[in-house]
Amino acid sequence: MFGFWKTWKALEARGIMGINRRNADYVLKYNKRSLYPLVDDKIITKERALAAGLHVPQMYGVISTEKGIDKLDEIIGGRSDFVIKPAQGAGGDGILVVADRFEGRYRTVSGKIISHEEIEHQISSILTGLYSLGGHRDRALIEYRVVPDQIFKSISYEGVPDIRIIVLMGYPVMAMLRLPTRQSGGKANLHQGAIGVGVDLATGLTLRGTWLNSIITKHPDTTNAVDGVQLPNWDGFMKLAAGCYELCGLGYIGVDMVLDQEKGPLILELNARPGLNIQIANDCGLTLRTHAVEARLETLKAAGVTETPEERVRFAQEMFGHIAAFAG
Amino acid sequence: MRSLTLHLKILIAILVVLGISVTCYQIFVLGIPVTEDATDDLWNIDAKVEFVANPKDPVKIQMFVPPLSRDFVSLNESFISNNYGVSVNRTDGNRKVTWSARRAKGNQTLYYRLVLTKRYSGEKIKVKGPTFRDSIAVEGPEKIAAEALLAPIRQHSADVETFITEAIKRTNNLSDDNVKLLLAGDPSTAHKAKIVELLLSIAHVPVEKVHTIRLVADQPQSPELWLRSFNGSDWLYFNPETGEQGLPADRLLWWTGDENLITVDGGKKALVTFSLNNSEMNAIRLAKLTDENTDANFLEYSLYGLPLQTQQTFMIMVMIPIGVLVILILRNLIGLQTLGTFTPVLIALAFRETQLGFGIVLFTIITALGLSLRSYLEHLKLQMLPRLSVVLTFVVVLIAAISLFSHKLGLERGLSVALFPMVILTMTIERLSITWEERGANHALKVAIGTLFAASLAHIIMSVPELIYFVFTFPAILLILVGFMLAMGRYRGYRLTELVRFKAFLKADQ
Repeated sequence: MFGFWKTWKALEARGIMGINRRNADYVLKYNKRSLYPLVDDKIITKERALAAGLHVPQMYGVISTEKGIDKLDEIIGGRSDFVIKPAQGAGGDGILVVADRFEGRYRTVSGKIISHEEIEHQISSILTGLYSLGGHRDRALIEYRVVPDQIFKSISYEGVPDIRIIVLMGYPVMAMLRLPTRQSGGKANLHQGAIGVGVDLATGLTLRGTWLNSIITKHPDTTNAVDGVQLPNWDGFMKLAAGCYELCGLGYIGVDMVLDQEKGPLILELNARPGLNIQIANDCGLTLRTHAVEARLETLKAAGVTETPEERVRFAQEMFGHIAAFAG
Repeated sequence: MRSLTLHLKILIAILVVLGISVTCYQIFVLGIPVTEDATDDLWNIDAKVEFVANPKDPVKIQMFVPPLSRDFVSLNESFISNNYGVSVNRTDGNRKVTWSARRAKGNQTLYYRLVLTKRYSGEKIKVKGPTFRDSIAVEGPEKIAAEALLAPIRQHSADVETFITEAIKRTNNLSDDNVKLLLAGDPSTAHKAKIVELLLSIAHVPVEKVHTIRLVADQPQSPELWLRSFNGSDWLYFNPETGEQGLPADRLLWWTGDENLITVDGGKKALVTFSLNNSEMNAIRLAKLTDENTDANFLEYSLYGLPLQTQQTFMIMVMIPIGVLVILILRNLIGLQTLGTFTPVLIALAFRETQLGFGIVLFTIITALGLSLRSYLEHLKLQMLPRLSVVLTFVVVLIAAISLFSHKLGLERGLSVALFPMVILTMTIERLSITWEERGANHALKVAIGTLFAASLAHIIMSVPELIYFVFTFPAILLILVGFMLAMGRYRGYRLTELVRFKAFLKADQ
């Protein structure tokens, strides 16, 4: 019992945020329920992002009825690679990534050959709500397949690594690079076995990683070091993330982005209940940083000023960036 | 935000205070027992009437029975008499039973039985009594003796109360010549009481004879005489032997006035013997009995006012919040992962019927078989609704099969499997299989065990009989529970499992 108390105190001193605190002080406080549909439905998020001038993967089409499945060919057109996603999917489930066509069939990114019927079945499952939160009817989204930047080749196993930035009231607070592993089946979700690697907000240099709640420095599949990697176009990521506050109005979100070979940083989706493992990846508690942002908001409010996304990025980078501890 | 916290604090405070005060009111003012085991004294009073009937005359026996207006509550009253007609009537604050028969012969025995208790007598009724009376006319030496006695009594008293006490004391001073004259050689209590009455009547102080029975078990006794006088708001009782004031709590008022306990027409050698014994009775059952027998409706607006069948339903229902509280603590404080929020509570309810061990076995069997069916269905690529329907039907068939088997094997307990909520089982299977696919077998197993653990714990706590009794009898407890739940809604501390989850931080420090 005493040991638990000691752990408790130590975690608190480091500002580690627990689920209860995240829910009570951030999710419930800053995220209005009525705005959830904006982030729960990827199609709406995409439309809003486009309207706000933020980059997203190009949308080829939406299928919302069983009858609409017939139009799949029309939507795909002559493209040989594309992604099919449930609009309200959670945890990366129900996503089908087609990388190539192969003699009238399709090849997924993992090399599996599937038929047109199987794709149609997948879309039908999406429509019935198999992958959606709460099993509601859903829509299927067909969009551009992101080709991850070459930089990730050595530190990721299949799939698309993504960058998650936690944003509080438009201020980036903490960032993490998520690398798929063999165990996660090409998915970038930490609880499925992907690696989370902390990222320095100022420089875009990766810090150490977390894998299944423990700390690592090498990718388990490729054995390459995951720390000390310079992410290209880092300021682009930061600006995208900061701009998401104006996009959805939610005060506490996790912005998931990818780095496309050709198109640069793109927003994949927003998450109104971002996970807490990012703290382990960054070896830093969220609470200290969120409190700093909240203090900043107070001062600005008193002065009657609001900051632009660029100013917010600068503040965050000065405040939370340049972590030197992991040079070795 | 701050105002919300204040608002919440006030709300919690109101709920908790309300819950505690209602419960305290029930416990301390209404006197509802806190545990089901609390017992109360119950008195059984038998009055046995014996007499010899005249062979030819019709028989009519009149006997006083307790009026039961204050302090005691009659739970049951019976007149045991063969071939006699019985009627009870009230006169002047007394109650009289009349037994009558056209023909009776030889020794006759009649019984009057009263079961009463002292508790739950409700509010005291306003009493009325005379405060003035005319003097009893006396002549000659008695008059002089009485007046001679009254003079010092007047001197030594301040009010009615002390006047009566003084009068009784003087009357009991047998060496006094005036007293001797008045008593005329008959120093029995009844006669003394009569002299006291006479003295007081000259001073216009009304006084009344009261005949009481002492609530003491297994002792032969006859009615004890007391005097009482009305002081304008209440009756004052006096012992005619000692003048001491106040009726002891164990005295039961049987009748008032000068008449004898029993009058017999058409019979002789009437004899009344009293026998008393006491027993203890479950307090809450006693309270219920009392409620039925009196107008004291203190249980009327509790759940005990419901029909018995509904009461049993509510005994289960009021425990559901307790079960939910268990889940809340397990999930938000400890961080145990369960399937769904309230699924464990519903499973816990099912355990009521199946018993814990058997319930866990049945639940595991059905879920395991359901999961294997579900994984087979996965290959068929069915849509969600048809797939769920198939699983549900399978669950029903499975339940039927288990019932049939266990019946054939003589395991009647197995029949209770039918009480498992099928839909809950189906959803459990569906969710579990999705969890399995999404997050692996390990996690699914962890969640399943967490759910079963939560359900078992909830079941165990929900079936503590003392707790059921307490919550059912004092439903205001639920308000306190709501207060706690509200507070939990703003709890920001770590969950116990998070301390383990974030251990990596501390390792890095060392």
